[in-house]
Amino acid sequence: MNRYEFEDLISDYIENSLSLSKRKEFENYLTEDPEAQSLVDHVHSTMDQLRNIQQVKVSDRFNERLMSRIKNEKLPHRLKPVSGQKTFMGFTPVYASLMTGLTIALLFVSMQLFSPDMDTSTSQNQFYANDPVPTLSSPATPRVNPKPQDLAEAEEDSLDENSANLPKKDYTKRIHLVND
Amino acid sequence: MSLDKRHSPFVYTDEQLIARFQAGDEQAYVELVNRYRDRLMNFVFQFLGDTEQSEDVVQDTMLKLYEKKHYYREIAKFSTWIYTIARNLANTELRKRKRRKVTVLSQMTRDEREYELPAVQPETGQEVESQYAAKRIQIAIHALPEHFKTVIILRDIQELSYEDISSIVGVPLGTVKSRINRARLQLQADLKDLR
Repeated sequence: MNRYEFEDLISDYIENSLSLSKRKEFENYLTEDPEAQSLVDHVHSTMDQLRNIQQVKVSDRFNERLMSRIKNEKLPHRLKPVSGQKTFMGFTPVYASLMTGLTIALLFVSMQLFSPDMDTSTSQNQFYANDPVPTLSSPATPRVNPKPQDLAEAEEDSLDENSANLPKKDYTKRIHLVND
Repeated sequence: MSLDKRHSPFVYTDEQLIARFQAGDEQAYVELVNRYRDRLMNFVFQFLGDTEQSEDVVQDTMLKLYEKKHYYREIAKFSTWIYTIARNLANTELRKRKRRKVTVLSQMTRDEREYELPAVQPETGQEVESQYAAKRIQIAIHALPEHFKTVIILRDIQELSYEDISSIVGVPLGTVKSRINRARLQLQADLKDLR
């Protein structure tokens, strides 16, 4: 056994964890070198000093302080939203804006459906594709929709025209009554 | 939750207590605090050498235990887990201290230490002598390289097993044994004049 091997095994020797053969080898080295024995004694003594070092303890108010820190520091964790994202009336910003848009659209559609002035407001003063392009000298006069009674007259006229033009057919020979 | 200092008989193991705490039993937390507060205080104090700062670190350790209780898994011993937290927090405190450039005794050169020490060296009295010896040991520990310091504190002051130390510092068992042996040799050389 050389010096390095000896030094490496000092702790194992003191803690009694050497195999029997190694222990014998170690003790032989000690008997041959008195300085080695002194080193082992010093290491042993140092270990004892460390074990008997004055123990430091926490203060009497340790638990009390800890208790108040737990109370103060755990509260924000509980209040923190799970996602960590800001919300508006329970909705995330994306959903909040989508919901707002949808509501406005619904309101607009329902106003259009149930408004009593719908016919007049949309049918008056319209231009059509075949109308002449208005100029400064002849300002455009919007085509006014015909009044309901005019339409009725027009329909009657057209019916009369059609009935006049069509040849009258004789269906008498084609009709067979039950008793005939 | 009451944090009284009752010393009830230790019927539960640490692992059983943390399991109960994870299930919502806060009294189990109090029991763990009572078991470990002084051990951790003694451990952290060897790193920082300041009672108030050490207590703050132990407080932070216990607070982390409270907040991160679900991070503990039973694959490791509770003691190694809590010591690892305390060690990391103590190291963080040491790094902060270095940044602040606070001069502590452990950071002084050998000459500075030899200059300072006679001021606290006692003339008479056994108690004062033992205080002086404790101070010398503390200085010698602080002077050790970081990887020696942690293992020697855990082994010779905290009296943990080699296996637990290996888990805490995250190095193989053989390395831990070798480091402890080397640290003891260095300490005995530094503390020769105390004998």
